[in-house]
Amino acid sequence: MEKKKITIALAGNPNVGKTTLFNAITGARQHVGNWPGVTVEKKTGKRTYKDTEIEVVDLPGTYSLTAYSLDEVVARDYVVEEIPDVVVQIVDATNLERNLYLTTQLMELGSKVVIALNMWDLAESRGDKIDTRKMEDFLEIPVVKTVANRAEGIDALLEEVVREVDKGEHHEHEVSYGDDIEKKIIELEGIVGKDSALSGKYPVRWLSVKLLDGDENILEKIEGSSVATQVNSVLSTIKKDDYEAAMAEKRYETINTVLPQICVKCVNEVTFSDMIDRAVTNKYLGIPIFLAMMWAAFEVTFTVATPLMEFVDMFFGWLAGVVAQSITNPVLGSLLGDGIIAGVGSVMIFLPNILLLFLMISLLEDSGYMARAAFVMDKLMYKIGLNGGSFIPLLMGFGCNVPAIMATRTIEDEKERLVTILVNPFISCGARLPVYLMLAGAFFGRNAGTVIFGIYILGIIVAILSAKLIRGTVVKGKPSPFIMELPPYRLPTLKASAIHMWEKGSIYLKKAGTIILAGVVFVWLLSAIPAPGVDAAFASEEILGTEDSLIGVLGHIIEPLVAPLGFDWKVAVALVFGFIAKEIVIGSMGVLYGTGEDEDALAEILTAGAMTPLTALGLMVFTLLYVPCIACVGVVKKETGSWKWTLFMMVYGTALAWIAAFLIYRIGTAIGWGL
Amino acid sequence: MANTNKMIFAMVAGILYVVFGILKMLEGFGIETGLAESLLIPGDFFGGFCFVVIGAVFLYAVKELSAGVHMGVSYVYVGILMSLVFMAVYLLVMGADLLMFYAVKSEDYEGWRIIDSMRPGIYLGLLSLIGYFYWKDRFTTEMTKV
Ligand SMILES: Nc1nc2c(ncn2[C@@H]2O[C@H](COP(=O)(O)OP(=O)(O)O)[C@@H](O)[C@H]2O)c(=O)[nH]1
Ligand SMILES: [Mg+2]
Repeated sequence: MEKKKITIALAGNPNVGKTTLFNAITGARQHVGNWPGVTVEKKTGKRTYKDTEIEVVDLPGTYSLTAYSLDEVVARDYVVEEIPDVVVQIVDATNLERNLYLTTQLMELGSKVVIALNMWDLAESRGDKIDTRKMEDFLEIPVVKTVANRAEGIDALLEEVVREVDKGEHHEHEVSYGDDIEKKIIELEGIVGKDSALSGKYPVRWLSVKLLDGDENILEKIEGSSVATQVNSVLSTIKKDDYEAAMAEKRYETINTVLPQICVKCVNEVTFSDMIDRAVTNKYLGIPIFLAMMWAAFEVTFTVATPLMEFVDMFFGWLAGVVAQSITNPVLGSLLGDGIIAGVGSVMIFLPNILLLFLMISLLEDSGYMARAAFVMDKLMYKIGLNGGSFIPLLMGFGCNVPAIMATRTIEDEKERLVTILVNPFISCGARLPVYLMLAGAFFGRNAGTVIFGIYILGIIVAILSAKLIRGTVVKGKPSPFIMELPPYRLPTLKASAIHMWEKGSIYLKKAGTIILAGVVFVWLLSAIPAPGVDAAFASEEILGTEDSLIGVLGHIIEPLVAPLGFDWKVAVALVFGFIAKEIVIGSMGVLYGTGEDEDALAEILTAGAMTPLTALGLMVFTLLYVPCIACVGVVKKETGSWKWTLFMMVYGTALAWIAAFLIYRIGTAIGWGL
Repeated sequence: MANTNKMIFAMVAGILYVVFGILKMLEGFGIETGLAESLLIPGDFFGGFCFVVIGAVFLYAVKELSAGVHMGVSYVYVGILMSLVFMAVYLLVMGADLLMFYAVKSEDYEGWRIIDSMRPGIYLGLLSLIGYFYWKDRFTTEMTKV
């Protein structure tokens, strides 16, 4: 059998045992020459491990990969331009903090790295407890313990190297430089990416980072390129020295959040923040803890809102009474009572839920826990072709998909961003909640909470599977590195969270006063106009919301589309108008069934035969999945810049919704649930 | 040694939360455990799952502490914090019930007594509250320092 040939480069700080390890691997059969053009010594050697022939290149020892010295330039150029199959970084286990600085830079270069955790014997005798499994988790780099001068761990190291080469894909983590610097990085990436000679040769993010770092060597490379003027104009807007210092600090900050998790004894002081992180980023407990926190937020949103909803209900009941008593004009009375109060009231009643939901999201964000959740979910997100960075925009979708989709702007990779946008509408937003609350409350009584939680879970599952599907077919590509950021925990203040809650919640209020109001008035208008050939007055009792009104005619036209799902024409109409805003599904049902603002009356009519638990479940699932509201469609168009993708999302979602509701109805009926 | 106290605490809390969590899940499935009434355990599958998670966090602390990993105390703190969060949740639910009874005077709440809203999340949380105050320094000083 033909032997496989690979090249590995040994990198590391000075005095970490690089030469010793080189000798241990190659048996000191080495070739000494000079690096091209410079007088730095270049050593190469060979080793055959199992059926792989490994060429080993010893790089000059360096503390970083910024072009401060000739050694650094040589080491870096080799890694960037020759692209060894694997870079083995030799890390001195007794000096992790300093050694990991080089690691952060290798991560940025996107090289496949394996860490040889050398001087393990010294670290152990000193009593350091380094958790290599955790180290692998945090860095997403394989770690092998070695003692080079006793040739221990060499085979394990080579085994890992060979495995890493065979792996094909790998998922990196990178340092986050904070909002301001990240913005500049993204700006530069946009510019540098346009020069295909540069972007073909070097990782674009790395180039941008180095430019901000004031790296002379990279600046020279840019000078001769087509984007020189543009890059310089961006760079002229910043103070280079400040940036360089700030970026180095950020790298150390990242190392210092990771270090206490990897090695307790290696740091002088373990903060409470470090301790919490240890538990909430635990390999096994991280995701369950996250789910438990979500459930707590969910429980508060639903249960605590109940009495508050009663108050809102009382208010609208009172309002309806006042209107009924004081307005004598029947048309105006109907517009106010059957149209506006019925429609807007049945939406406003859910304001407490919406506010509490936003309050919970704000609390989780403000405490710093959200960033941990993104970290914990990174592995899972990677499996569906995204990374942890897509997680927060998805989570925000539980509030409202519009700001959530705008939040995808922090995702650098265009393809990942596109997929995150396309699946975001499946994350059930606050506007859909009234529909579930109404229907689940009416049909599932004691189990309503479980049913609604199940609907949310279904949304998540559909989003995940869709992302995987889309990523595997129409938007192929490798997930980009995850940018790590673990800000310190803060005790969230109720005031700050309340302000955040209000910022988001007031949008809901405004929506109720404008677009939902307009929507329900329109529905009322259509239901007040007599159908052609029907002899009745405008807005008269006997035609309102019945088949004798214009809306009845329209409803019957579209009814065949949803009849296979067990929906009648009123539901069909409600769904059509739900495109304006999902709350209108319930708002217009209030108008169409003529139950006014009274939720309980609507529930009674529905359970009395207008619907079955099965069609109610189908309607909830349909509402979850079908075309998102008009505002959401608008933002998808704006953010993707493409009608093609916007239409794709609309058609895909609606088709899924139809199929799901169809299956629920058919299978449920077949096994006898549809009573 | 201080860690022995924490280990015993975590062991007791861990077992309690896991057991109560499993009971809640069983009741949630509609399986009568016979303990629902006397221990005020509601049938609640997801809520039970959360209890099991809290219990697991405590038990993980026992695992690490007994292996001599001092940082295992992290799990005790996080377990305490989580159970306090859940205690707060159930107290809020109780507050909502109070409002329904006194302010809304809902028909569904006829004959409601405060004990009807008492949940294991509240009385088990008392244990964590004790732990919280016992190791308060750790929580307050460190919290403000970061
Ligand atoms: N105790 C211990 N000493 C080591 C180990 N690896 C290398 N050394 C010693 O560390 C010193 C520096 O090693 P060297 O290979 O020259 O480091 P380089 O500067 O990275 O090439 C030498 O004295 C080695 O014997 C190790 O794993 N354990
Ligand atoms: Mg050397």
